[in-house]
Amino acid sequence: MRFWRSILERMSRKPAASEEEDFERELRAHLDLEAEDQQAAGLSPGEARYAAARAFGNQSLVREDVRAAWRNVGIEQLLQDFRYAVRGLRRSPAFAAVAILSLALGIGAATGVFSVLNAVVLQPLPVAQPDRLVVLQPELRNKRFVLFNPLFEELRRTQRSLSGLFAVSDEPYMKAAFGRENPGFVRGSLVSGNYFRVLGVSAELGRVLTEEDDDSSSEACAAVVSHAYWTSALHADHAVIGSPVVVREKACTIVGVASSSFRTHEPGYSPDLWVPLRPLTDPKLLASRSMAFFSGVMGRLNEDATTTQAAIELTTLFQRMQVVNEASPRPGEPPTNPSDFRIQVLPGAQGLASVARLFGRPLTLAFAVAGIVLLIAGVNVANLLLARGYARTMELATRAALGAGRARLIRMLAVEGTVVAAAGGVLGFTVAWLVAPTLAKAVSPPARPISFDPSPDIRVFAVAAAATLLAALLAGILPAFRLSGRDLQSSMAGAGRTAGSRSGKHLGRVLVAAQFALSLLLVTSAGLLLRSMQRVLAVDPGFDASQVVLLDVRDTEPAARFGETDSTAQKARRAARYELLERRLNEQPGVRSASLSWLGLFGGSYVGLNTYDVEEPEKTRFTLVDYVTPRYFETIGMQLRRGRGFTEADREGAERVAIVNEAFVRQRITSGREAIGRKLVMTYADDRRPFTIVGVVRDAKYNDLRERETEPMLWVPLAQVSVKLTSVALRVRPGSEQAVTAAARSVLTAVSPDLMVRKITTLRAQVDQATARERLLMRLSSGFGGLAILLAAVGLYGSLAYAVTRRTREIGIRLAPGAQRNSVVRLMLRESLAVVAAAILVGAPLSLAAGTLLKGFLFGVTAYDPIALLSGGAVLSLVAVLAAFAPARRASKVDPVLALRCE
Amino acid sequence: MGTEPPDRVELLQGTLDMLILKTLLLGPAHGHEIAKHLQRTTENVLQVEHGSLYPALHRLERKEWVKSKWETPKDRNREFKYYRLTAAGKKQLLLEESRWKQLADAIARVMWPVKEG
Repeated sequence: MRFWRSILERMSRKPAASEEEDFERELRAHLDLEAEDQQAAGLSPGEARYAAARAFGNQSLVREDVRAAWRNVGIEQLLQDFRYAVRGLRRSPAFAAVAILSLALGIGAATGVFSVLNAVVLQPLPVAQPDRLVVLQPELRNKRFVLFNPLFEELRRTQRSLSGLFAVSDEPYMKAAFGRENPGFVRGSLVSGNYFRVLGVSAELGRVLTEEDDDSSSEACAAVVSHAYWTSALHADHAVIGSPVVVREKACTIVGVASSSFRTHEPGYSPDLWVPLRPLTDPKLLASRSMAFFSGVMGRLNEDATTTQAAIELTTLFQRMQVVNEASPRPGEPPTNPSDFRIQVLPGAQGLASVARLFGRPLTLAFAVAGIVLLIAGVNVANLLLARGYARTMELATRAALGAGRARLIRMLAVEGTVVAAAGGVLGFTVAWLVAPTLAKAVSPPARPISFDPSPDIRVFAVAAAATLLAALLAGILPAFRLSGRDLQSSMAGAGRTAGSRSGKHLGRVLVAAQFALSLLLVTSAGLLLRSMQRVLAVDPGFDASQVVLLDVRDTEPAARFGETDSTAQKARRAARYELLERRLNEQPGVRSASLSWLGLFGGSYVGLNTYDVEEPEKTRFTLVDYVTPRYFETIGMQLRRGRGFTEADREGAERVAIVNEAFVRQRITSGREAIGRKLVMTYADDRRPFTIVGVVRDAKYNDLRERETEPMLWVPLAQVSVKLTSVALRVRPGSEQAVTAAARSVLTAVSPDLMVRKITTLRAQVDQATARERLLMRLSSGFGGLAILLAAVGLYGSLAYAVTRRTREIGIRLAPGAQRNSVVRLMLRESLAVVAAAILVGAPLSLAAGTLLKGFLFGVTAYDPIALLSGGAVLSLVAVLAAFAPARRASKVDPVLALRCE
Repeated sequence: MGTEPPDRVELLQGTLDMLILKTLLLGPAHGHEIAKHLQRTTENVLQVEHGSLYPALHRLERKEWVKSKWETPKDRNREFKYYRLTAAGKKQLLLEESRWKQLADAIARVMWPVKEG
């Protein structure tokens, strides 16, 4: 630290007071002496003093010049050291390349991961005073719960701690038709009227939404487009203000373009269009106390309010709205009381944080991992510089003999390390810049179009700078103190010949061991995640995900609103359309089987309804449901265990039928009774006509391969209920995916232009998506683990190769009396394995600790998985042996005669 | 002022450093001694303001060509800051001396060319 302080002193701060004092004393002494001389020459004391001052010249100018000398020489020497360091590095390009590259990888990894972490979790919304924003999180029995609109409205009316409170309902695929154009999907957000006011966002053009726009009785409807959408899709046309846009079949008018600096209320989700919530939401939904549709609720604290006060007030109000001993909205839970409810007021500077909630932890862990890689890289370079430094002991000793002070030597070496670190920093930042977008793409929660812009901001620069500084400290200061601390005079006497100072050799080994210990941590973590992922993939999903193309479809034909049923004519028309669609799709070449469904598998949504057996109407149970066409089970490869599947004959008017899974039979049918033939009622709207169970399918996973217990589920023919499809599944012949996808698109459009495709994917990809976080972590930790091991291997190789050079004589002496060459190889291997053994001793507890951190991401393996740990250790040992091999071979080739002669 | 010789020479940039180093080659000295020595040996031809020595001394010290220490001379009971030459300073003196010689020779060759033949 002294080194940095002295640089700082020289470059900026005033010189130390003691230095100034010292010079004043020197100056006084000079003037006194001169005055004495003058007095001796015959002047009076007063005259003598005056003469002395005159002979001295302008004192304040001299003071200035002395200070300047202090400063300038420091900078000059620094430049000199810098030039010297650059020259030295250019003389050994291999060393420079390895050192700079390893630091660049370390710094790049840390910066790259951080820039994504920053974009996803840390960056505040670009609004005025974001730290006064809060997110309201309702809880029921300490678990996240939802806020129904009527309760939200009441809270909004009665609360006093927030200056404003708004709700958002994101609609990632909102059907909108601008002007005369055909309808398409835009990223939409339905927001309360005060959304822009509370956030403090103004309009770039026109105006933003206001409270008046958010009137449920209003026939007019205002819309605000984002600046990005305005410039890209609407050609930055000023005439858009006042132009029509049809949203959700309602005619709206564009009233403004939002400020260009504002993108979103939620990192990753940037709406193209904001529309007022109330006019565009079904009034029944607005009034519902059982259906929630908000993506989130945010507010801004009053000047004098704190989050704690707000939480207390809002919780009190919220509890007052609840009823004593009410049936729990969560299936299988006891009735609720007001005290079970609570509203948490969370800091909202980053906006709604659904993605951050999901990916914050894995990204933080990944950042920690990258930090470890950086540590390893720094230690590695320190080690390399150290080894190189020993090789230069002679040179250093000469310099010391020539009068270079200890401080100067330290500075020289530190500057060298700093130059390497700085070069690594610049290169690393470039690496981060290139890698971050790819990494950002991996941050994708299921079923939402999310995109992050990880472009560096001030925070990212700060982290890159901090990483570089850390690298500089490790790579520069450590070897500098180490080397200059040695007795250079004695080195002068025997540099390059003796076995070297014990402590120096020791430090090198310790550094290599530290690298291996940290590598072990990363490798075992990667191993744990890999094994966990293997387990996930080994799970029998109960269906066959290969060769299934999924089309995410929206039937945008106007239909009955929430809680109502469509007219008979409309139902018939829709059923006919879906029947036609399924038939046409099944006729396409390359299609083995095609089906339509309401939800489908792995779409990220569970929908449950209360059901009961007609013979036991008092036992109402919550059951997952889906509505499908006849070939659904065949298409996704679910096996029918008993009874029959659906057929074309199962349509409206025929007997209503259902298929259940084995879990349903196990849990819902009293033992001994036959499942097939039982009649079930689904309590939806007013329709209580029962469905008869006709078949049982094998249990399968529905939304996550890691589901432990299969939930009871039932399926009903799409033709017998009035819901719209959202998913088309196509089992295709290998190689025909592309052709089939294109064909399916045109079939959909041909059957009805209202059938709009949102997204095309495969069932396999959909299944993988469910473990996106784990995959991200696994990939990062394997990549970083590999990198760490490589760096550690380079470190070990470097230190052993150097040891061989230093100990040529010792080896020569061993060989001279006839020691086996093998024994020399064994000696080298033993040394490298000793290092690894020490590393494992230290690294194993660290790895176990890391495992506990990973617990939440593991499936089917414990945090203390012995196989991951053992294989980590094995990999390390193997790498150590490989790294030791070349130096060991060289050692065994030492010619005893030559070795002894070089004395 | 009347005691000063009429034609005094301004010192060339950097030359003072060399002169100081050369002076210290004779042994450790404090600033006043160096000033007096320069005055005496050049017989007051070189215009060296005493004050201008100090920035030079401190520069040389930072470059580690001289070292300094407060010491009390035998005949006095007051401490003075003595400067002494370091090994690097000696090397530097040799370097500057040879440079100066080269320069002086080159100038001399132009100014007073030796007639050939």
